[in-house]
Amino acid sequence: MTDSVSNPRFPRIYCVGAAVLLLAVTLFVSGCVGNNSHEERRTISVIGSTTVLPVGQAGADAYMDIHRYDEILVSGGGSGGGIKAVGEGTADIGMASRDISANEKQQYPTLVEHIVAVDGIALIVHPSNPVTTLTMDEVKAIYKGEITNWKDLGGNDRSIVPVGRDSASGTREFFYEVVMHKEEFVRTQQELNSNGAVKQTVAQTPDAIGYVGLGYLDTTVATVTINVNGKPVVPTIENIKDASYPIARGLNMYTQGQPSGLVKDYLDFLMSADGQRIVAEQGFVPVK
Amino acid sequence: MKAHSSSLSNPAGISRQKKESVITGIWLATALVAVITIILILGFLLKEGLPALLEIGLREFLFEEIWTPTSVVPSYGILSLIVGTLLVTFGAMVIAVPLGIGSAIFIAEIAPRSVREAIKPAIELLAGIPSVVYGFFGLVVLTNWLRITFDLSSGATWLAGSIILGIMALPTIVSVSEDAITSVPQEYRAASLALGATRWQTITGVIIPAALSGITAAVILGMGRAIGETMAVLMVTGNAAVIPDPIWNILSPVRTLTATLGIEMGEVAIGSTHYHALFAVALVLLLIALIINLSATVILGRIRDAQMGTGKPPLLSHEVRGKVKTACSWLAFALPAVILAVISGPGGALLFIGAIGAYLFIKRIISPKITEKIAFGLITAATGLVLFTLFVIIFDIVSNGLPAITWEFLTEGPRDLGRSGGIFPAIVGTIYLVIGAIAIALPIGVGAAIYLNEYTIEGKLTKIIRTGNDLLNGTPSIVFGLFGFAFLVIFVGLGVSLLAGQITLALMVLPTIIRTSEEALKSVPDSLRHGSLALGATRWQTISRVVLPAAAPGILTGTILSIGRAAGETAPLLFTAVVFSKRFLPDSVFEPVMALPYHLFILATNVPGAETQKYGTALVLLVLVTGIYAVAVLMRRHAQKTVRW
Repeated sequence: MTDSVSNPRFPRIYCVGAAVLLLAVTLFVSGCVGNNSHEERRTISVIGSTTVLPVGQAGADAYMDIHRYDEILVSGGGSGGGIKAVGEGTADIGMASRDISANEKQQYPTLVEHIVAVDGIALIVHPSNPVTTLTMDEVKAIYKGEITNWKDLGGNDRSIVPVGRDSASGTREFFYEVVMHKEEFVRTQQELNSNGAVKQTVAQTPDAIGYVGLGYLDTTVATVTINVNGKPVVPTIENIKDASYPIARGLNMYTQGQPSGLVKDYLDFLMSADGQRIVAEQGFVPVK
Repeated sequence: MKAHSSSLSNPAGISRQKKESVITGIWLATALVAVITIILILGFLLKEGLPALLEIGLREFLFEEIWTPTSVVPSYGILSLIVGTLLVTFGAMVIAVPLGIGSAIFIAEIAPRSVREAIKPAIELLAGIPSVVYGFFGLVVLTNWLRITFDLSSGATWLAGSIILGIMALPTIVSVSEDAITSVPQEYRAASLALGATRWQTITGVIIPAALSGITAAVILGMGRAIGETMAVLMVTGNAAVIPDPIWNILSPVRTLTATLGIEMGEVAIGSTHYHALFAVALVLLLIALIINLSATVILGRIRDAQMGTGKPPLLSHEVRGKVKTACSWLAFALPAVILAVISGPGGALLFIGAIGAYLFIKRIISPKITEKIAFGLITAATGLVLFTLFVIIFDIVSNGLPAITWEFLTEGPRDLGRSGGIFPAIVGTIYLVIGAIAIALPIGVGAAIYLNEYTIEGKLTKIIRTGNDLLNGTPSIVFGLFGFAFLVIFVGLGVSLLAGQITLALMVLPTIIRTSEEALKSVPDSLRHGSLALGATRWQTISRVVLPAAAPGILTGTILSIGRAAGETAPLLFTAVVFSKRFLPDSVFEPVMALPYHLFILATNVPGAETQKYGTALVLLVLVTGIYAVAVLMRRHAQKTVRW
């Protein structure tokens, strides 16, 4: 046995070291930022759908830039989580990319709905795919597994890889109702948990087709034009506004009763001209 | 407590005894934390899952293949999910076990000291890469590579999931097996070599059998990591709820139980059948983990008994065991052959069978010296492959992340959804979360290990505690997330807060700390304890002054693994602690925080046009974890240099 084992200072060195490190981090942190004023600090939390999150967050940022002592905490967690949080009172606003379900309505009867934006859902394919126009029936047939090869749609002789959202997504629920008319998706459909993941998959899979919100369209994927009664319609803000593009739904914020205080100020801001400009900047369709 | 009573010179026997029993009580309490937690988790899952089971029917739930919970006529069969989970985990183990044990042997037995000092922390670093980063890397790089290599229509497959999970399980397996191998006494090696065995014969015949219980523990820990992984898996397996056809088709998409929870839990309407069904899914997931862990515990116990020679008859008689061994080796053959046949046609399989045949033929005619050379070559290659993987992932993150790193990025809050501005609050939030989690878990974990190893003999109670700990260890992180949300956030009323996140993370890393601390305590020779006790020290004095310092390096290893895990986890934080953005740093532990992994997850999946920031965040997270690791590795090295017995 060497002296270090019998030396009781041995573990203490580490304890002291850890304590000093902790202290240093804390001091560094508080010194750097310093919450210098606590006067009139109002805080609300906004929880829910990750689809609505960009609008909620960008709106909160812009609002907080004007009102320095108000804090709006925005986080994801999903539509169900958002509605539950506001219903149970653990959040002030719940975001949802779907309408409140009958079950939830019954559980939380006092929730009030605010539609802050509209989201068009675009069908996307790989940029190399020669197929660029589809009818709603063809889209449905692809996702039902009735059309399985691109050659049946005038494309290459390659099997189609349908990419969709997970079975609890508000986006998928909407797609299921409006495009699928509540008929079943093909079981080999790939299911991903976010718009970003769907876009990423389609961008690197030449035979894939997927659906995402308008904010996710860029040059890495090609947008499919929907053929409505022989007239090709591109998913643009104008076409969604005049309802000529068939796949669009509202993005909701729920509050417990009529809003007041910071909740009201924030929602008013979102619905103002400035707020709706932010909605457009995030790639969604303004409601006003 | 009187100040004098801690001094050795105090002769007051009664107060000493009292103090000892208080200390024993404290350690018993810490040892029971894991058991209580797992009971709470199980009870809670049962409570929330039962309504769905009653409505759907257990048989239909478990043995029906179709999972379409949101259809007009919903179907809640999870057979395909169970099969997917088992297949992906199995595939991950096929990849990670040989590579991991090979690397452990290389580090412990073959590599020169300087190489070893460099490789060990490098592989531990692999554990610090957050699962979101693995998932993103898998989605962007791996699935694409698989798609092109095998000319598939999509690379999101069982194979992709198994590769990612295999890589994620590697550092655990390497680290823990290496500790087990290193702790085999030098005399064994010397004796074997003196008898004329080659180094390879010594390794396979003496060292591996002696370290078997530790290696088995390593594999269990690795398996626990693989089966419970959520974020990475759901990004690379395609998530189609189908059973591969044929069942060994590793190029088919699959969906795991964890992925189902990870992607559906957030959006589900609370209180619906679907919601309860998801808790039932979590219950099934937990039960599968339970079965694997319990059977592993039984196996471990058998091995230990066999080594100790307790006189109990072995589970299998000698002949049966021989037959099982033969069957296993045939399986070990046939499996890769079938897999190769699926991937590359019959040619690949024939080549493989030919290679094995050639190996068996050559083995008969070549000397042990050459066998050793070949074996060492293969082991070195395995280690090389692990390091190469590490290099590829880190190169990808660093080269893409470096352009984002500016002073502004490191010191400011995010703007424009994280597309500009910085990540300072997320850095601080992550540090707070990890420090809090370790501060809670370390004393409890070490206390439990002390109780198990120092204060009690093996009995019913220790068995319960150990089982509880094993089960907690196998509990997937997403289940901790669900539990943390329902218990801490709602029931205890902490709200979405720093504290709720710290406790959730602490519970998650607790079993790792207990297990590694116990191994460390076990490796301290009894002669040290006897010496101290003989000098008149109390039990606690012996433990605090003699045993703990000697076990510090091993405890640190466990802590390092835990820090890596806590810093990189997303799933347990989703509903318990994090917000996407926060202007002020938290004033108290009851406020929510930003965290790097969650920030990265949102940037990667929900914010278009944040390419650079995404990689920048990943890089900062990586550097942060590396920094923590570096401190811990230095501390451990210091301890290893100063402690000798």
